[in-house]
Amino acid sequence: MLRNRDCWRLTGLFSLALFLAPIALAQTPVIVMESGAFRVTGWRAAAPPLNGWSTVLSVYAGEGDVPPVLGSYSVVDGCLVFAPRFPIAPGMHVRAVFQAPNGVPVEAAFDLPKQETPAPATRVAHVYPSTGILPENQLKFYLYFSAPMQKGQAWQRIHLLDADGNRVALPFLELDEELWDRDNTRLTVLFDPGRIKRGLVPLKEDGPSIVAGKHYTLVIDRDWPDSRGAALVEEFRKEFRVGPADRTPPNPAKWHVLTPHPDTTEALVLDFAKPMDYALLQHLLEVTGPGGRIAGTVAVVKDETEWRFTPQQPWKIGDYQLVIQTALEDLAGNHVGRAFDVDVFDHVTQKISKETTSLPFRIRRQ
Amino acid sequence: MTLPRSFTRLAAGMCCAAALAFGASTVAMTAGKAQLKSAGPLAFGPDGILFVGDSVGAAIVALDVNDHTAAKSGGTVEIKGINEKIAAMLGTAADQITIQDVVVNPISKNVYLSVSRGRGPDAVPVILRVDSAAKISEVSLDNIRHSSVGLPDPPTIASDNPRAQQQRMEVITSVKYVDGKVFVAGLSNEEFSSSLRSIPFPFTEASKAAGIEIWHGSHGRFETNAPVRTFVPYEIDHKASILAAYTCTPLVKIPVSELKPGSKVKGTTIAELGAGNRPLDMIVYDKGGKHFILMANSARGVMKLSADNLDTFQPITKQTEPAGVPYETIADLKGVQQLDKFDDGSALVLMNSGSSLDLRTVPLP
Repeated sequence: MLRNRDCWRLTGLFSLALFLAPIALAQTPVIVMESGAFRVTGWRAAAPPLNGWSTVLSVYAGEGDVPPVLGSYSVVDGCLVFAPRFPIAPGMHVRAVFQAPNGVPVEAAFDLPKQETPAPATRVAHVYPSTGILPENQLKFYLYFSAPMQKGQAWQRIHLLDADGNRVALPFLELDEELWDRDNTRLTVLFDPGRIKRGLVPLKEDGPSIVAGKHYTLVIDRDWPDSRGAALVEEFRKEFRVGPADRTPPNPAKWHVLTPHPDTTEALVLDFAKPMDYALLQHLLEVTGPGGRIAGTVAVVKDETEWRFTPQQPWKIGDYQLVIQTALEDLAGNHVGRAFDVDVFDHVTQKISKETTSLPFRIRRQ
Repeated sequence: MTLPRSFTRLAAGMCCAAALAFGASTVAMTAGKAQLKSAGPLAFGPDGILFVGDSVGAAIVALDVNDHTAAKSGGTVEIKGINEKIAAMLGTAADQITIQDVVVNPISKNVYLSVSRGRGPDAVPVILRVDSAAKISEVSLDNIRHSSVGLPDPPTIASDNPRAQQQRMEVITSVKYVDGKVFVAGLSNEEFSSSLRSIPFPFTEASKAAGIEIWHGSHGRFETNAPVRTFVPYEIDHKASILAAYTCTPLVKIPVSELKPGSKVKGTTIAELGAGNRPLDMIVYDKGGKHFILMANSARGVMKLSADNLDTFQPITKQTEPAGVPYETIADLKGVQQLDKFDDGSALVLMNSGSSLDLRTVPLP
């Protein structure tokens, strides 16, 4: 590997050769790749050509008729250096082409070592809803992975099988955008809402994605690459059966609140009577007391039918409120106080327009 | 009748309530490094200002791409395998990049693309320009006049679980500029609700203003509350409207004049386009004195709809079969993923060609 000072030395030799023209030693420029950059040795880089350094040195990644790699040029110790805008990816074939003004072209090829495929280590950590019984108008799944995944393959890697093992055609809303979280560890998969909402052509033509009374299996392929390019440790399957559609909005008045004892950090337990949306349960409920918001931790258990709140400080005797964002949804996307799709003929369009509602409870000696 | 005004790409989404956010205190464009955490939907505004939807950064970034020279009419674009060419420029393989959006600068006719290099959480956003000579270059964000506005947070409650808050985000699916406002549509990865916003430009500080709900009574007797995914603004008889295509297939017309905070707006369903299909992109154009919508779909090819009578459709208030705007399928155009108006006679398409993607202009049908 040539180091920077080599460029000077070779350049010096080259200058000497020019001076001794009749007995000149032909110095052929050499392109070397080091630390991800491309450096031309054996040629002294002076002022940039009229149309820029790219007229004398270009680097091409991959095969075929492709434009040069984006990057920047600099002159270091008299050597022309091209630094790609992004690191050249492992396994790429790269050509660097140099041609000094009035010189002959010099080309160098580099095959970057392929990256060894890492050993599988990522798993499907959990799929919500946890329950094995879903309403016919189930709205979404949350797929939680143990490590970041690659975008762009979701709809090839997620399948829904019927009881006979046949794939259900287009059960999900195959959004090109793919609804990941910021670190690519959770994917939200929506059932095709056109096959849920009453009165729509897709529902009439294709029927619901899942049918009450039938059994299905959600399959997540092992071949789905994580962000390192490794497959999952194993395929994931979730079997479930389908119950009737749920068009009843969650009603906090019917939730059961189990109040804790004073001077303890026992959990406040909220029983919804039916499973709720796991992700929204994490941050659309809070507890307030005489002094304002109560700090604590949330646990969602019993197939998302129960929300448990453990305060950081012991409960004190007094009146409290459980504050609920009405954006909270059940499994079918029914919001608190408003169904997923509202039958205007049934006069049920009166919706809760406020953003929150609350349930009062009291901590007292028993 | 007046000409359609802003044209870009279609909107597709689900079905429909939306929030408008209005603010105050103008944010001036300043020169310097523009921060983009991701680059998704694009739209051109006045004077060659390029708007970039940044879902990860929860922001809309306005870039002055300094591209103001008017192009001669009659130009064409054809770059075969543009995804492979872009990947090569970025030093990686074609399967490691994603072309997120493609738009045409209506002044210069140069084409702009938002691209992700990488598919993991460390993917890097890149903005590229294709000029009339089909040369692809990067729009450097290191020193560019820009301004940005953060999108208001969705309704939430203070939480002791910051990770749960972090997981919640909105994927911006469509950005459009019309009449001094940037309209933004997005999809939440949690709640099934809408987030159509209107942000005055030059930008103001986005506020958590009261939202408005846009309902459409399109499903016969059923109203639903769902996000607008994408849309195209148009103007007929001096009345500005938004035409939104939802992923559950209805095409809905919403008057812009009714998009006021605190109000409940009823959109008008003008067509349902059938099952197993996702609208991908849409433009509005004028040909032979008539107005048309060109819509790319995932399963049903490119459809051409008459836009002349959109204003005559009334909101559906009783259970009926969905109203239908007549349309035809353009057989020549298959595999179109992105669509934008190029000039008065042609559209720009990004379309599948075997295993690669071609960028080309096609005559408006």
